[in-house]
Amino acid sequence: MAAHCDFSSLELLMKASSKEKVVKVCNDVYVMGSSQSDGLLSSVCESLGTRPNETKKMIESLSSVLKTIIFHGYTEPQEIQSLFPKDFHKNLRDLITKIALDNMNTWKTHSISTQVSLPRLVDFDWRLDTKMASDSISRTSVPTCILQMKVQENQTDVKTTPENHNINVELSKETLDTMLDGLSKIRDQLSSVARR
Amino acid sequence: SKECLNMDLSERGLTAGKLVDMKWKLGVAVCSDECKSLNSPFVAMTLKVADASGKISTHTFELTIPQFQNFSEQMKDMAARMEMI
Repeated sequence: MAAHCDFSSLELLMKASSKEKVVKVCNDVYVMGSSQSDGLLSSVCESLGTRPNETKKMIESLSSVLKTIIFHGYTEPQEIQSLFPKDFHKNLRDLITKIALDNMNTWKTHSISTQVSLPRLVDFDWRLDTKMASDSISRTSVPTCILQMKVQENQTDVKTTPENHNINVELSKETLDTMLDGLSKIRDQLSSVARR
Repeated sequence: SKECLNMDLSERGLTAGKLVDMKWKLGVAVCSDECKSLNSPFVAMTLKVADASGKISTHTFELTIPQFQNFSEQMKDMAARMEMI
């Protein structure tokens, strides 16, 4: 990936007035770049004070370098530095290396949150009710739980935020106990996965 | 969230279905197009819900591990409260 990167275009980053601006650009490029956000180009131009034409090429190259680094999960500075040509501006090379290492975990987490997935649970709420009467029983006192789960579907249209849909379920004590059995089995499996 | 629902189901003309079955799978994402080495666990669940007419619908989704742990804690909490009623 990095072999096809036009490293000379990265020198545009030297126009940044501070290191913090370079950090922001790298972060925007990695995080917004993956979702092909329209705001990325204008955000980077603003951070660097550069024109869109010259900035586009830099964004492509920077995106390519950062994606390569995160893909391989490099932990040593030398591994990242060796991606750059020998005559590349050393300070800029070392700055990009440091930024990538500092943000490795954050960017990896972001990647996980946007990776291929089934619809995701985003939130849930619950309420405990007591059924006092029904058409078949005039007086009763049965506790039930109403659980509402909010699930976010996968995006179907690139330009629109995916829809959330609600799953509303009623759980009796017995159903809840059965569910808890299942959940505790998952917890047991999780601890054994964590131990490996 | 831990707040109690403030929804009036009867007003919305919806009733909650009855949970009929819960199937689950614990998976580990090994790698992706963006990360060569992930080792990221996740929980996938399929819930089967029966509506008032008996028609069963299925819902499948994923939870991150922190979400799963939060969900699990709150279900335990809820069961404990049910005992007290």
